[in-house]
Amino acid sequence: MAANLLSYQGINISEAMAFGIGGGLFFGYLPFIRINGMPLVTYRAAPGHILRQIASIPGVRMHQKKFRRQDEAMAELDRALASSMPVGLQTGVFWLPYFPKALRFHFNAHNLVVYGKVGNEYLISDPVFPQPVRCPAEDLARARFASGALAPKGKMYYFDQLPARLERGPLILRGIQTVCRMMLGSPFPLIGVRGIRFLAKRLGKWPQRLGRESADLHLGHVVRMQEEIGTGGGGFRFMYAAFLQESAEIMQESLLRDCSASLTTAGDTWREFAAMAARVCKGRARPDDTYSAMAGCIDRCADLEKKVFTELQQWVKGRS
Amino acid sequence: MNTTTPDHPAEDDITDGQKIVSYSVNRRGEYELIPESVWQPVNVVNQQAWQEIEKKIDLSRQKVLAGQVSCLHYYMTANQMDPALLAQYVGQSRWKVRLHLVPFIFNRLSANTLRIYAELFRISLDDLRTGRLRPPIYNHQ
Repeated sequence: MAANLLSYQGINISEAMAFGIGGGLFFGYLPFIRINGMPLVTYRAAPGHILRQIASIPGVRMHQKKFRRQDEAMAELDRALASSMPVGLQTGVFWLPYFPKALRFHFNAHNLVVYGKVGNEYLISDPVFPQPVRCPAEDLARARFASGALAPKGKMYYFDQLPARLERGPLILRGIQTVCRMMLGSPFPLIGVRGIRFLAKRLGKWPQRLGRESADLHLGHVVRMQEEIGTGGGGFRFMYAAFLQESAEIMQESLLRDCSASLTTAGDTWREFAAMAARVCKGRARPDDTYSAMAGCIDRCADLEKKVFTELQQWVKGRS
Repeated sequence: MNTTTPDHPAEDDITDGQKIVSYSVNRRGEYELIPESVWQPVNVVNQQAWQEIEKKIDLSRQKVLAGQVSCLHYYMTANQMDPALLAQYVGQSRWKVRLHLVPFIFNRLSANTLRIYAELFRISLDDLRTGRLRPPIYNHQ
């Protein structure tokens, strides 16, 4: 979504690249935040974090605002659009009518870009869909003021100043450094590679702790968060691997290319887990599809990611 | 034989056949963005979630018909809310919302209070008064 916003203002940047220099990759298992009564598992940094990182690039100025009242929030959006400024919004997907029915859960951290208004409808570029979509004003207002966990409170943002060109090299280094720090160096055991291992440990015990039925529901929830539409699959691992690949090209660095391949393997392992989990949820488990096997699979993801990010961290250190 | 047929029928597909963007590696090991159908396991876990939601809605409908809870309980459940979330949306306290789920109290609510709920769920005041159970918002067309 940051990429969309930037490209509308003449800076051509891929979604993966914006995700990478924004330091987007993350892992967190936060059982004290509940989404539909289940623990929050997140594979990316909060959208606000990615934006802040991009906004702190020299020469970029970002304007961000939250609102108390709906009418103020919509008026401010119209004002920005009137000066032909594309605007990023945080929304709750439950209220967006153009979303496929089956994806309309109460999930509030969905970001999209509004780039115009025709009559009473807003023109929206949503990272989930290949084509632009339209949304009536009333529905958009509701989506911007969705309640519950991670409530958007009408949050909108736009870049009112941008450099003519972005010097990618240092930004890539900085983005990678942020992610390495998150994945390897967090003091909290619920975050980064340690968080992945923590999830594996917990998940292995779910059938005993929660009972079979609830364990299956939790499992399905983890897979939904991981493969959620807009992640590019594999809990954003594929998107980040695409970023590493693009960076390898820009910086002429074969190590990044290797790391990209290793991270793709990690993404595939996440998907292996998801496929196993789906069979369990559907009641078509094969003999070796057990909770402990799935925990083992997630542990392997942790090993793979630890290796990738350790290599990346050393590379970054060597360059600065 | 038509080789372009997707490997699962469209009615199984959570996006109703709409393609979404996904990252995939081509033969040379390079990433490409390809509009694809949703990956099958994703459909499975989404269906699981919906089965669970529909189970809850059915249970709620039965309770409403049996007179154990007010029809507000049905609208809350059908829109995937719990009393806490509903309370945030209507700007009431949780215990008030919980009380409104009791038929005896619900039947004595003022039109103003009912209107807040009716607006949220996009139904008429009459629907709430007569206890008509209409489909949730995401089924409106």
